[in-house]
Amino acid sequence: MPRKTKEQNKIENENETKKTTTQTKKTSNKKTASTKKETTKIATKKTNTKATPTKNAPKASSSSKNKTKSTTKKVAKTTSKLTKSVKKETTSRKKVEIVEYYDLPYRYNQTIVKVLAQTPTNLFIYWDISDKDRKNFEKLYGDDFFQTTKPILIVHNDTLGYNFEVEINDFANSWYLHVSDSKCDYRIELGRRPITKNNKTNNIDYIYVTTSNEIESPNDRILFDKNQKMVYFRNVKTGNLTAKEFTSISFIRNMGKIYNIYDLYKEIYQDNNVEDLYNLSNPSSMMRQ
Amino acid sequence: MQEKKGYVSFVLHAHLPFIHHPESDDYLEESWLYEAISETYIPLLINFQKLVDENVKFRITMSMTPPLLSMLDNKLLQRKYIKYLKQLIELSKKEVKRTAGDKRLNKLSHYYLDRYSNDLHLFKDVYNCNLIEAFKHFQDIGVLEIITCGATHGYFPILYVNEKTVKAQIAVGVQTYERYFGKKPRGIWLPECGYVPEADKYLKEFGIDYIITESHGILYADPTPVYGTFAPIVSPNGVIAFGRDIESSRQVWSSINGYPGDYNYREFYRDIGYEADYDYIKPYIAHNGVRVHTGIKYYRITGDTDFKDYYNPRWAMDSAEKQAGHFLDSRTSQINNLSNYMETPPIILCPYDAELYGHWWYEGPYWLYILFKKIHYDDCNFELITPSEYIDKFPNIQVASPCRSSWGANGYSEVWLNPTNDYAHRHLHVAGDRMCELAWLYPNAKGLKKKALNQCARELLLAQSSDWLFIITNGTMVDYAKKRIKDHIGRFTKLYYQIKEDKIDEEFLKDISKKDCVFPDIDYMIYY
Repeated sequence: MPRKTKEQNKIENENETKKTTTQTKKTSNKKTASTKKETTKIATKKTNTKATPTKNAPKASSSSKNKTKSTTKKVAKTTSKLTKSVKKETTSRKKVEIVEYYDLPYRYNQTIVKVLAQTPTNLFIYWDISDKDRKNFEKLYGDDFFQTTKPILIVHNDTLGYNFEVEINDFANSWYLHVSDSKCDYRIELGRRPITKNNKTNNIDYIYVTTSNEIESPNDRILFDKNQKMVYFRNVKTGNLTAKEFTSISFIRNMGKIYNIYDLYKEIYQDNNVEDLYNLSNPSSMMRQ
Repeated sequence: MQEKKGYVSFVLHAHLPFIHHPESDDYLEESWLYEAISETYIPLLINFQKLVDENVKFRITMSMTPPLLSMLDNKLLQRKYIKYLKQLIELSKKEVKRTAGDKRLNKLSHYYLDRYSNDLHLFKDVYNCNLIEAFKHFQDIGVLEIITCGATHGYFPILYVNEKTVKAQIAVGVQTYERYFGKKPRGIWLPECGYVPEADKYLKEFGIDYIITESHGILYADPTPVYGTFAPIVSPNGVIAFGRDIESSRQVWSSINGYPGDYNYREFYRDIGYEADYDYIKPYIAHNGVRVHTGIKYYRITGDTDFKDYYNPRWAMDSAEKQAGHFLDSRTSQINNLSNYMETPPIILCPYDAELYGHWWYEGPYWLYILFKKIHYDDCNFELITPSEYIDKFPNIQVASPCRSSWGANGYSEVWLNPTNDYAHRHLHVAGDRMCELAWLYPNAKGLKKKALNQCARELLLAQSSDWLFIITNGTMVDYAKKRIKDHIGRFTKLYYQIKEDKIDEEFLKDISKKDCVFPDIDYMIYY
């Protein structure tokens, strides 16, 4: 499922301003200059969102949002000249009031893929290719390399030893991916496949870009091992390890072999609505709502 | 006297994100702390003391997170809390006059005047503004076990792509605990109960014995724990995990038939901050005129209706007593069932947000007090215990790896990683990598550079707080949460370049060090 175009990202990330977008498009080689822009310098006046309203005050909420927007525009317009003069002014005063405004950088100009497990069967992946690497690809495979190839993600399941490929697009920088197997190690490879061939990509079927970190997706079930013979106990004071036969444990003996957690809880709670009891939607912290 | 067949362990997780704005009085979010002090922390302390005075044998465990400890210890926030109370007392006095014509309402306004006046007296004269010391006292006399948490409640299952950032969360969590309690913590509340096995080695390195996990952290462990959540398990790396009991959780938490929904309990959402005449209430709401909760609430839940009846504290206490009896009976029968099947006595672990007790469930602290008295005086089949005591009594623990899990909705990472907040993760990851890079580039720095590097570590930790992601998902106070991520990443990044270019702006560093003054003893070399 495609996720987040660059445009969407701009809107969602609350003013990932025009400034940063043009910075990306320019893909300039002035690395220090562009990276410096990642932090916004001292702004003229602080009008950041304050006193964020509670959910019972929707009116106030929208007004505070407007306030933020207008602030951003103001800040974006601030010229470096103005910044300099403010700096001068502030240093000349005795009590210095530092005024800040920050935007998150749109990108970090790194070649990277990272994968995180959102659920046992949903992975979140984000990526980027640095300007330097982009130029290298263009040098190697032609100036139209990014127009004549399409990006793909190869999902490697290293536990079960299979992989599959997902076609993505150049407007996205992150993706949610469904996988079939929980409790498995996953690695994601970013690469490109030619759409149309030119003389430099004529004999090439796939161009590797980079590989992600490896993660294990969480487990989502009771792991009954019918062949389990022994259960191991450690005395945490002495470190001694003891083994008991699985069937000798009275919990198991009395229940019979437990193959279903619902049976176990029905036995314990003698409650017909155990399915309702065993619902992972447990409430979390409420104070911060 | 009935034989004790099992144990019940209450664990209250006390946490608020670090909110400290010396630059302005306009941040409403600072009032989260004041509300929690008045509605949760002081009521818990009062009830612990009552139990001690009445010679009731009880045990309870609380995690007090490093940001909360830092805020409770902050002189400015202490002064602001006193100002908050004085305003509430002033408002309560006005309310006493305003409601003079309505006997029931007037009685309630007197109740609030007494309550807030008492809070002020306790905070200033009894606790000397030091609530940490007040909680520590109960730990020192052996009724309360305090455990720690990640430095800023950073969510491990997302941070662990750079393990050093998880290590730093644990290290600073343990150091902060030692600073305030003078010893090492035995347990840790993993932020959001977010468990990843990769954290085990760091937990062991910093001397942590046990963690608390969500129920399926145990039930889906590998190999399957033979006693379900009714006994802890120990990971191959030696970290002991206790899992949340499902049945007792539901009884308290359920939004449909959980205890806090009793019709006699105080209605949270009906507050005079929203209901009183605007000109009258204006001095007691937000500076920008936005209506907010004041803490003075006159109605009870009443039922599924908009026509609410006045709150009656006596009726509410009756309900709390009845529910405490129900909880006791439920645990007794649960333990009776379980003990038939277990070689060692079962433990029923009941973890909750501390702020549920008092803030959301106004009568919660009283319910806890009555429950503990009942457990002590009634001839029941179980005792209260802390996880540490249970480990010491029953050190033979099944070896199994807990399941990667959290206590968020659906049990994994959806609350902290979803389309509303996923934009933040790459920034958190890059800042984490850059912090490690700085430590590697400038080991054992001195003077200004050291100060700047330490402040970088603070900014990174503050950006990592799971609260911002949670708030964004939740859809309330979103602007503030997003701003906090931007501010901390922004300050970090600016400092990162200043350090690398050897152009540290001292005024800037001084200013952000004053604002983000958490963890005064931090050493950035934890990222080395």
